[in-house]
Amino acid sequence: MKIVVARLALLALVLAAWELLPRHQIVNPLLLPPLGDVLGMLGELLQRPQVHLAIGVTAAEVVVAFVIAVPLGAALGVLIAENEYLGDVFKPVLFYVFSIPKSIFLPMFILVFGISFAQKVAYAAFTTTFVVMLSAAAAVESVKQDYLLVARSYGATRTQILLRVYVPSMMPLLLEALRISMIFNFTAVMIAEMYASRAGIGHLIAGWGENFQMRQLFAGVILLAAVAILFNETVRTLEARCSTWRT
Amino acid sequence: MRRSLTLPAPATVRRGMLVAVLLLWELVPRTGLLPELFLPALSSTLAVLYEDWRIYSAALLVTLYEVALAMVIACGGGIVAGAVVGGIARLRDLLLPVFSSLYAVPIVILYPVFTAWFGVGPESKIAFAGIYAFFPVMLSTAAGIRTIDPQFIVAARSMGATLTQQVTRVIIPASLPTVFAGLRLGGALAIIGVVVSEMLTAAAGIGYLVTLNRTILDSPRVFAALLMILILSVAYYMLARAIERRMVVWQSAGRSPKAARPENAVVVPA
Amino acid sequence: MQHVANLARREEARQEQVAIEVANLSHVYAGAQGAVPALEDISMRVGAGRFVVIVGPSGCGKTSLLMMLAGLRSQGQGTILCHGRPIPDPDPQRVGVIFQEASLYPWLTALDNIEFPLSLRGARDRETREERRERAEAMLKLVGLEGFGERYPHELSGGMKQRVSIARGLVQDPPVLLMDEPFAALDEQTRMTMGHELLRIWSTTSKTVVFITHSLTEAVYLADEVLVMSARPGRIIDRIPVALPRPRSYEMMATDVFGQLRERIWQQIRKTP
Ligand SMILES: Nc1ncnc2c1ncn2[C@@H]1O[C@H](COP(=O)(O)OP(=O)(O)OP(=O)(O)O)[C@@H](O)[C@H]1O
Ligand SMILES: [Mg+2]
Repeated sequence: MKIVVARLALLALVLAAWELLPRHQIVNPLLLPPLGDVLGMLGELLQRPQVHLAIGVTAAEVVVAFVIAVPLGAALGVLIAENEYLGDVFKPVLFYVFSIPKSIFLPMFILVFGISFAQKVAYAAFTTTFVVMLSAAAAVESVKQDYLLVARSYGATRTQILLRVYVPSMMPLLLEALRISMIFNFTAVMIAEMYASRAGIGHLIAGWGENFQMRQLFAGVILLAAVAILFNETVRTLEARCSTWRT
Repeated sequence: MRRSLTLPAPATVRRGMLVAVLLLWELVPRTGLLPELFLPALSSTLAVLYEDWRIYSAALLVTLYEVALAMVIACGGGIVAGAVVGGIARLRDLLLPVFSSLYAVPIVILYPVFTAWFGVGPESKIAFAGIYAFFPVMLSTAAGIRTIDPQFIVAARSMGATLTQQVTRVIIPASLPTVFAGLRLGGALAIIGVVVSEMLTAAAGIGYLVTLNRTILDSPRVFAALLMILILSVAYYMLARAIERRMVVWQSAGRSPKAARPENAVVVPA
Repeated sequence: MQHVANLARREEARQEQVAIEVANLSHVYAGAQGAVPALEDISMRVGAGRFVVIVGPSGCGKTSLLMMLAGLRSQGQGTILCHGRPIPDPDPQRVGVIFQEASLYPWLTALDNIEFPLSLRGARDRETREERRERAEAMLKLVGLEGFGERYPHELSGGMKQRVSIARGLVQDPPVLLMDEPFAALDEQTRMTMGHELLRIWSTTSKTVVFITHSLTEAVYLADEVLVMSARPGRIIDRIPVALPRPRSYEMMATDVFGQLRERIWQQIRKTP
């Protein structure tokens, strides 16, 4: 309990500094507008139809890309986890993939799809698939072989094993995988929108940055950060709930 | 097990795939399956690199300079901060949950802030890539420091080690694997961060060459830059891995292979 | 009668030098859920060169007691004397400690692990590098691991690791050796051989040993005297002398005397709630 209070105090300190330092000109308010002004701008922005539209576009991109990447990545992940040979071949490659900036492939997506909704979705799905793959493989491998043996020795069928052994024992890791994949997915959509686009929150943010509209820019940052953190914490709470029985 | 007799070794398959990719890269555009605009042939890409090597090596130098400074922030700061946060229980309980929440925020949205603050020169790239790589390095270091067995210290004390000796002879060697993992992660992420930011807004660097040539639809030059970035990231990863293997022989065996892969602990979006 | 007993005591004290003397030791931990009384009024005395085994239910404070004997943790009340002097800090010249999980340093070879305590003395010591090396090698030989000096801990079996750990505890040649469940992680057979080995080493080095274990067979097999502790807060509820002749042999385990001793310890432990 005490620790939560301390954490809240820390948060309050940071927010107070954000408000007071620029307000008293200790920090240049042109570079860092006071928190109050930024929040005021955020409220204003949330009234604008243009912003509603941007949020809608971004949300649609995020959701569609996620819906494509998760089943695809999960299938590939299960494949390399279940098939030892494929795993041996492809797992080391995956680790290289993670050290490569996937953004360098953006120009190819633009060439193929043009600067469009489809291009954002394709790029985000492309980068997210790798993460889903890795997490799904880890989740499958986490299922204890003992559970499987016990289930088989009781004569469980394939479907029963899948539904009664794999899914429940993988649940917390699956949620974890979904959470991390969503973070990747969101980042990818943002990069794609900031790189080249005509719509979406990332497009707005990039434009505000270019035009030195710092209040709008910080309002956008706060909005996106809040959404990301909210999503993350919700799934983490679910995870914690699912893993109470897990040892 | 029977399968491994009939199928080629995984490493051979990987090499084969690499050769196949390079071959396809050459043949698909040559045979006209894809237009050169979408995929310029490998040979045209290499020809561009040869022709424009001055431009590309100058850009590479800029990128490397930015990566090096970003790495100082990310690895230096991240490893020290991670050791402190991971090592001191109170600080850890207070801050680790905060950092893991912040981890969800796509840091790339801060890049416009950095360009507004520091301009479009190297400073904004260094700041962005430094911060982008800092948190994962810190989190993985904090996690790694916690895996050091406290019994190591108790044993050292029982053998009469002074406080300095406990640090230099036990804590530092015990944290080497974590530190190396942090360096590997931090370097890879610094490269990613610099490239992404150069692609977004810049006036120099390899990422800038990607974007510049994309807008004028000069595909061979886009792919030449892309190839350099690929080689840079893979080379860094291999180098870091090799150094790590050599420096910490003792940590490879005796643990499950998965536990010995610290990159599993923290993955970072880009 | 009283007079005679006192005389006998004094005689005994004169004959055997006391290595460890604990008087009225108590300790309370400040836990998160309030105070945890761990040790209560412990008094014990271990003669020099004796092999004393402590047994007791899990969590009764055995490790805590050992840490205090080693100067690794300070006690709440009471006194501890080691060869007549208090031991407020670890003193490897007087006391060597061997832990349960071998706690060898994975980044050092077996030989370097054994040499580690010597190297800590470094500049303070006149001993040269070669002499230190020789001493470490002699220890390696003593524990029967000649030729394994260049291996890293992960390349050694559990029993071999524990041998290295014993060598590391012996290398500074402390008169007192404290061992906290050193063989607990080993399988039954290795455990018996290691116990036997330990007795062999002990008989050639004339150390005082305080040894903690959960295995009653091991306790009787090794000990001159077994101290039985109660559940938390730990008190010493019985002192059982083991009069079996030395050197001990595996055959003794089948004897009635062995069985009776084992049974007596078991009854004592079972009694504690
Ligand atoms: N540093 C500490 N702070 C608070 N409580 C402690 C601490 N160390 C030990 N305790 C508590 O003191 C009691 C005795 O612990 P100790 O480790 O000495 O028991 P033990 O007899 O060695 O147990 P085991 O046989 O399981 O090794 C336990 O209840 C333990 O929880
Ligand atoms: Mg114990």
